[in-house]
Amino acid sequence: MTDAVTRNDQTAADDRTRRRIYIQEYALVGVLIVLIVAGSIAKPSAFLSSSNLFTVLTQASVVGVLAIGMTFVIASSGIDLSVGSLVAAAGIAGGLLGDGGSGMAFILGALGFGLLLGSINGFAITFGRVVPFIATLAMLTIGRGLALRMSGKTPISVILLDQVRWFGNGKVLGIPAPVIVLIGLTAIGWVVLNRTAYGRYVVAIGGNREAARIAGIRVRPIVFSVYALSGLCAGISAILITGRLASASPVAGALYELDAIAAVVIGGTSLAGGRATMVGTFLGVMTFALIFNLLNLLNIPTEYQLIVKGVIVLIAVVAQRRDS
Amino acid sequence: MIDERNETEVLLSVRGITKEYPGLRALDGVNFDVRRGEVHCLLGQNGAGKSTLIKCVSGLVEPTAGEILFEGNPLPSSSTGAALSRGIVTIYQELDLVTDLTVYENVWLGHEFKSRGLLDKTRMIDETRSLLNRIGHEELDPRVRVDQLSPAAQQIVSIARALSRSVRLLIMDEPSAVLGDREIEGLFEVVKRLTAEGVGVIYISHRLDEVSRIGDRVTVLKDGSTVLSGVPADHPPEEIVRAMVGRRLDHVFPDRAPSTEEVVLEVKGLTLRPHFTDVSFTLKKGEILGIAGLVGSGRSELMRAIYGLEVPDEGEVFVDGRPLAPGRPHVALANGLGFAPEDRKSQALLLHWTSAKNVSLADLKRFRRGLLLNIGEERKRAGEQLDAIGTEPGSTDRQVRELSGGNQQKVVLARWLLRAPGVLFLDEPTRGVDVGAKTEIYRVVAELAEKGLGILMVSSEFPELLGFCDRILVTRDGRIVREAKGGEISEEEVLSLVVRREPVAEVAT
Repeated sequence: MTDAVTRNDQTAADDRTRRRIYIQEYALVGVLIVLIVAGSIAKPSAFLSSSNLFTVLTQASVVGVLAIGMTFVIASSGIDLSVGSLVAAAGIAGGLLGDGGSGMAFILGALGFGLLLGSINGFAITFGRVVPFIATLAMLTIGRGLALRMSGKTPISVILLDQVRWFGNGKVLGIPAPVIVLIGLTAIGWVVLNRTAYGRYVVAIGGNREAARIAGIRVRPIVFSVYALSGLCAGISAILITGRLASASPVAGALYELDAIAAVVIGGTSLAGGRATMVGTFLGVMTFALIFNLLNLLNIPTEYQLIVKGVIVLIAVVAQRRDS
Repeated sequence: MIDERNETEVLLSVRGITKEYPGLRALDGVNFDVRRGEVHCLLGQNGAGKSTLIKCVSGLVEPTAGEILFEGNPLPSSSTGAALSRGIVTIYQELDLVTDLTVYENVWLGHEFKSRGLLDKTRMIDETRSLLNRIGHEELDPRVRVDQLSPAAQQIVSIARALSRSVRLLIMDEPSAVLGDREIEGLFEVVKRLTAEGVGVIYISHRLDEVSRIGDRVTVLKDGSTVLSGVPADHPPEEIVRAMVGRRLDHVFPDRAPSTEEVVLEVKGLTLRPHFTDVSFTLKKGEILGIAGLVGSGRSELMRAIYGLEVPDEGEVFVDGRPLAPGRPHVALANGLGFAPEDRKSQALLLHWTSAKNVSLADLKRFRRGLLLNIGEERKRAGEQLDAIGTEPGSTDRQVRELSGGNQQKVVLARWLLRAPGVLFLDEPTRGVDVGAKTEIYRVVAELAEKGLGILMVSSEFPELLGFCDRILVTRDGRIVREAKGGEISEEEVLSLVVRREPVAEVAT
């Protein structure tokens, strides 16, 4: 009798817990629906067109790709403050290599330089035992400095590099190339995070490093790899943004690291590590992009957009804390 | 002498105190008192009720029944503030100093001297100096950072802090556990100065020799009741040990076949200062080997060093006759070692993950199909192991943080059932686990041994070790002082070996 009662109480408590998590995970979907409804009422013709949807996704793509790498970094209970600068540094490195007219040289240069600088982050954090915040803060300034030095403080035009420009303006079956890249990489990121041993290890290390060690996971190579991966994502973002603007700028990507971190966090990935969601990250990126788009359509000045963005981050983090 | 004591007034008087937790009576009508200026030693094995008693007195825990009088007045229950303001100060075994702060900052933490709203640093330093003087440690510089000090000096700082709170009753929880012989002398000096000032002291220790050296009275608890109380001179150490042992066993150990002679793990001269020195032993296939020792005797560190979580200073480990690279847990795991650590929440589990994902963590690679994980297979196999070990049905998809302690421990064991290592280390596998789960854990571990695993197990519960293990290593101060077959040594002998403080060489066999 007593057993049955306790049991029922227990089950009821479990259901409550589950429901709360369920609601939290899909809260952002709700926010997005509200935004879309608000947009369609306020600006029915401009907002609901497919070209506007693609505009939103295209604008979201640069930060969106950074946020994919950032999800892995934050899942491992780390942080990468350098990605914005790495976008600029990788773009300039690609621009210098592709100057002879080779788009492929640009692409390999950007990816390679992003990967290299990201690896230096990883090296400093794992072997140098520098805390991620400091190591990547240092790289934030180093990366920006490199971009300015290497470019002589002037943008490098890639107007003649068709392959690079395709990543900004190309289309496949009417879908813009950056949108394809963003959605494709998000899908790959989801699979790696949720369906590979590597993804599981990253989250395990973030959630409980000691438990991961005891379970035989090699912590250092994996921590190293998430920063390298984040640097690689910065390289990809550099290709997208350079392609769109037709020039590599040494001041590109400023503060993008904060947009990426904010998107990951409002998506539900825990800054304390141990819980990560790629779908959440994508929804977080979309939330910011839609707000930006909507406020633009409504001619609301940038300063309000910034305030709204900050308020959303606060609300999302408070909601997360409630949950845990 | 005794007459003189009777005249001194009673400082603390605990009357018929009982504390019940669900399914457990931690204290059962205990009477206990401390007089002004006396040292009252409190003894008992782990789980005997010592901690609960001092927590009741210091206001951390509210007793279910009974009353506590301090200087004749009832002490409001469950209020640490009230206890502290009356001068009841507890120094815990894990010193609660802020190691990044200086000595004087620690002493006055929470009740700093101020002048015109700012901290009066000079006065605090001066006052600290005079407190240290009072206990004969004027050599300690109040301005030095606490992390620069030895454990013994840190203890002195804790005592100075207690004095700064105008201590009238000082509770010391195993203060000597981290100290060397000479440092203990120093500690006794300080205690004597305090009692001369009229402070009453409750002194918890496992070292029997200390009882006769500084104790004015001694009380032994067992299973939440007082089993001996009196003047140390009337109760020789042997009698005290006898009073401490013989705890009732509330479970039956499974019958087991004898182990083989094939060695799976050999440890040679392993040393990790200051935790353990020159430890050598072998573990055979199908054997359950127990390590008996007090908390702080280096037993957990020993397991951690063998497994590669710490890098030993000296010595070697062989698995199946092959040397094991030190300091590499993933290599240990690949060579067939498994480890269920002492604190499952902080060292073994991901609390936000499901049981299934926790179970598969040490053996994920087996579920790889190409680059991807077969998560259907993973969940199925993990569920099978959870069922095999009798985890509460339906646990597989639940987050581990929602499970009871016993079920959490089963999740950890299920992880190793799945991995099927050749050697499994169990550090306090039944701590914080209910009786039913304990029996289940014994059964599973016995089955693993039956299958040929070598099991190395640490436990603070000696009856458990004696009833369950084929062989026991008794450790003290980081050395093995005795090795015995399970049936060949009594609980009394084990206890007197681990609590004795003598040069190790004299008792080593």
